Amino acid sequence: MAAEDLPSEFDVVILGTGLVESVVAAACSRVGQRVLHLDRRSYYAANWASFTFNGLLSWIQQQQDDTQPEETQDWCDLLEEGEELIQLSSQSSIRNLQVFTYTSKEDEVEEASADSVNTTEEEQHGPASQDDDSNQENLENHENQEENKENQVNHENQEENKENQVNQENQEENQENHENQEVNHESQEATITEGAEPEAEQPQSPAIPSQSEPSRKKISFAQLEKEGRRFNIDLVSKLMYSRGSLVELLIKSNVSRYAEFKKVSRILTYRNGEVEQVPCTRADVFASRQLSVVEKRKLMRFLTSCIEEKDDQSAYNGRPYLEFLRDQKLGENLQHFLLYSIAMVTEDTPTEVGLASTRNFLRCLGRYGNTPFLFPLYGLGEIPQCFCRMCAVFGGIYCLRHSLRCLLLDTATNRCKAVIDSRGQRISCSHVLLEENYVHERKNVATPPRFLSRAVLITDSSLHGSDSEQEVSMVTIPPITEGAPAVKMVELSSSTMTCMSGTYLVHLNCSSVSSAYQDLSPLITTMFSTPESHDQGRPSVLWCLYFNMEDGSAMEVEGHDLPSNVYVCSGPDGELGHEHAITQAELIFHKILPEEDFCPPAPNPEDILYDGGSAPSSGPEEEPSLQLEV
Amino acid sequence: MAGGSVSECKEYLFKVLVIGELGVGKTSIIKRYVHQLFSQHYRATIGVDFALKVINWDNKTLVRLQLWDIAGQERFGNMTRVYYKEAVGAFVVFDVTRTSTFEAVSKWKHDLDSKVKLANGDPIPSVLLANKCDQMKDSSNNKTLMDKFCKDTGFLGWFETSAKDNINVDEAARFLVENILSNDQGLPHEESNGDRIKLDQQTVAAESKSGCC
Repeated sequence: MAAEDLPSEFDVVILGTGLVESVVAAACSRVGQRVLHLDRRSYYAANWASFTFNGLLSWIQQQQDDTQPEETQDWCDLLEEGEELIQLSSQSSIRNLQVFTYTSKEDEVEEASADSVNTTEEEQHGPASQDDDSNQENLENHENQEENKENQVNHENQEENKENQVNQENQEENQENHENQEVNHESQEATITEGAEPEAEQPQSPAIPSQSEPSRKKISFAQLEKEGRRFNIDLVSKLMYSRGSLVELLIKSNVSRYAEFKKVSRILTYRNGEVEQVPCTRADVFASRQLSVVEKRKLMRFLTSCIEEKDDQSAYNGRPYLEFLRDQKLGENLQHFLLYSIAMVTEDTPTEVGLASTRNFLRCLGRYGNTPFLFPLYGLGEIPQCFCRMCAVFGGIYCLRHSLRCLLLDTATNRCKAVIDSRGQRISCSHVLLEENYVHERKNVATPPRFLSRAVLITDSSLHGSDSEQEVSMVTIPPITEGAPAVKMVELSSSTMTCMSGTYLVHLNCSSVSSAYQDLSPLITTMFSTPESHDQGRPSVLWCLYFNMEDGSAMEVEGHDLPSNVYVCSGPDGELGHEHAITQAELIFHKILPEEDFCPPAPNPEDILYDGGSAPSSGPEEEPSLQLEV
Repeated sequence: MAGGSVSECKEYLFKVLVIGELGVGKTSIIKRYVHQLFSQHYRATIGVDFALKVINWDNKTLVRLQLWDIAGQERFGNMTRVYYKEAVGAFVVFDVTRTSTFEAVSKWKHDLDSKVKLANGDPIPSVLLANKCDQMKDSSNNKTLMDKFCKDTGFLGWFETSAKDNINVDEAARFLVENILSNDQGLPHEESNGDRIKLDQQTVAAESKSGCC
C-alpha cells in the first residue's frame, strides 16, 4: 500500500475507470500493452460506480463539496524541445442533486452514528449521515438562502463536523434550457450532517412522516445506515441484453468469470394508473389473464411474423411504428405492450426502428430466461471493475486518487508524447484515453450537453405482486402527460445483492426535459407513496435521490482539438443496453492496435501450469519485475 | 460460497485472499502450497487470477480452495471489489526481515475488514503469516507480543512460515480452513444460489432453445 514512483514509460495511459476506459484497459493489457490506469476518485467505475448506502451519502456530499478548481501549476521545467502543454481539468457531470428522506430517523442516534463509521467504505472520507427533514412545512431555514451560481449547494454554516445546510432547490441555474421555473417554489431541502461527532446529530427535529402507514413498521433511516453495506446503488440504470455486445464480450473474454447475474424476471408496464405484467414469451402469452383469446392469437401471430423482414413492413419505413401496429389490427392493449414494453420506443419512432428494436428484444428472449435481460449481482458497478481486474491480472497498473495534470504535445507530429501526473511525474506514453469529464471546455459550444434524469428510490415493497424478494423487474412507462419523457424503471429486489432484505431499489431513468426532480417526481408521487401522494397503499418510498447526469451518447471519440493519439471515452448514455459503450471501446482499441484481437479469451486459472524453478537460483527473492513478460 | 452436498460427500468452494506488502512472499506461499514449488526467482504472475488447491478434508468433505493473489499490479492498494467479493478467509503476509512490512499489516487488515464481511456481518477469518522465517536472525522473540497483536487486530492466529523451506504453510492453511468450515456450519446457508447465472462458454453451448416464438 506504500506510495511508490510509477515507471516512467507506458504504452497506454488511461484516466478514468468508467466502462469504456476499463474495457479498453483490459483489451490492451490482454494483448501485452503496458497499461497505466488512473482515476482521480477514491473508487472505481467513475459515473458507472455503485455505492453502499453510506458510500452513496458520502458521494452526495462530495458532489456538493466538489467545487474547488484544481490549482494550476507551472510544469514548464518538465517540457522538452518542441513540446507544448495541454492542461487538463475535470468538471463534474452531475447536476441538480436532491435528496429526500421519507422515513423516520428513530431514536437510535448514538448507534446510528457509530455504525456509519464502521460501514463507510472509504476511510478518508468522513461518513455522511443524513437527517431527514422531509417536512414540507419546515421552511424556516430557507430564509437565508442565496443562489449560488456555481452549484446548487448553499454552504451556509459549513464547518467541520457542524451542521451543513444544503439547499438543493435552485435547479434552473445549470441548465439554461429550463424555462420552467415553477419548481423553484417547491422548496424541499435535504439536510446533510457531517456526522462523526454525536453532537452533530442533535439539532435535527425528528420529523415524523404524517402519513406513514400504521399497519406496517417502516424501516428507519438508522436501519438503512446500519445495513448500508447491503446496498449497491448504481449511478447508472441499465440492463444487459442477453445477446447484447456486453454479454458477448464478457463471454468471449472470460471476464465473465468475475461476475454472476440474475435474470430480469418480468417486464411490467404502467398503464391507466395500474402496473401490469407484459406477457413476452409464448408461455406468458397463453397464461396471461389480461388478454383475450383473440388477442393472444393476434399477438403470437404478430411476434412470429415480425421476426423476418417483409415487404409489407418496408412500406412503412419513415412512418410511425404505432401506425404500423394499428394497421395490423392489434387492439389497444397489444399496441401498448408492443410499442412501449417490447420495442421500448415512443409514438413517433419510425417503423423500421421499432421493428429492429422488437426483433432485438425477441432475439434476446429465452437465452437465459423469459425476458431478454440480465442484471449483475452487486450492481452494474461490478462490470467496469471486472474489466479492471482482468487488466491488472495481465499487468496493468492501477492507482486511484491519482490523476493527470497535463498532456505534453509534440507540436511537429500533433501527438501526445507524455503526460504529467498529479504528483508531477512525467510519464511517456504512446496513447492516452481520457474520460469525457476532462474535455469539457473543449466541447463544441454549439451543441450544449444533453442530460439524463435519474432517480433512485429505496422502497418497502414491490410495485407488483408479492414481495418474494426474488423478482427483478423492468418497468416501461409511457409519457404520463404530453411532452413528458418516457421513463425506464428497474426494480431490484434484495436477491440481486443491491439492497437490504425488506427493501427494493428502484432506478428511474429518462432523457432530461428539465431537472431530474421535475421530470420524475410527478411519476414517483403517482406510482409510490410519498408524503405528497394522495392515495396510499402503494410501495412507500423510504429515501430517494434525484440527479441529472450528462448523457454520454453525444460524445465523440476524437476531435476536441486534442492530439491525434488522445481518445475521449464517453460516460453513461441513456439507452437501456450497453451497445454504445462497448462499440466505442472496440473502436478505440482498434485505433490503438488495428491488428490485434479485441479481448481474446483469458486462460482459465485452473488450466495454468507453473513451470517450476527453471531460473538459476541465486540471490534473494526478487520483487515482481515491472517489466511485463507475457 | 458453500457448495451443495452430493449424496454423502460435502463439497465446498472457498475463496481465500492472500494479501500483504510487495515482496513478502505471497506468490511463493501460494506456489509452495498449491504446486509444491519454490523458486528464488519469480516474475509478476501475468494472467493468473488464483490458484486452486483441492483438499480431501475427511472422507465426507471435499474442499476446493481458491487462493487469490493480488495482481502485483494492484500493489498500490487499490484492489477492485471483484478481488474481495465473497471471500471467506484471508492470509495477511509480512516479511520477518523487513519491519516495514509488519507495520503495514494492520493497514491491510483494516482494509480487508472494511471491504468484505461474512453474510452475518462478521469480519472474515484471517491468519497472519510471518514469512521468510528461515531468514530470521533470532527466533526466540516475542511470541506473547505476537499473540497480543493478533488478538488486538482480530487475527485468528499467526504462523511463522517459510515458503522456501516449506515450514508451516500447510499447517496455516489447515488452521484457516478449519475456521472457515466451522463458520460455515454455524451459519444458516444463505438463500439458494440456484438462480444465479454464470456466463461462460458452456452456458452458451448448452443454451436453451426455448425462445419466444
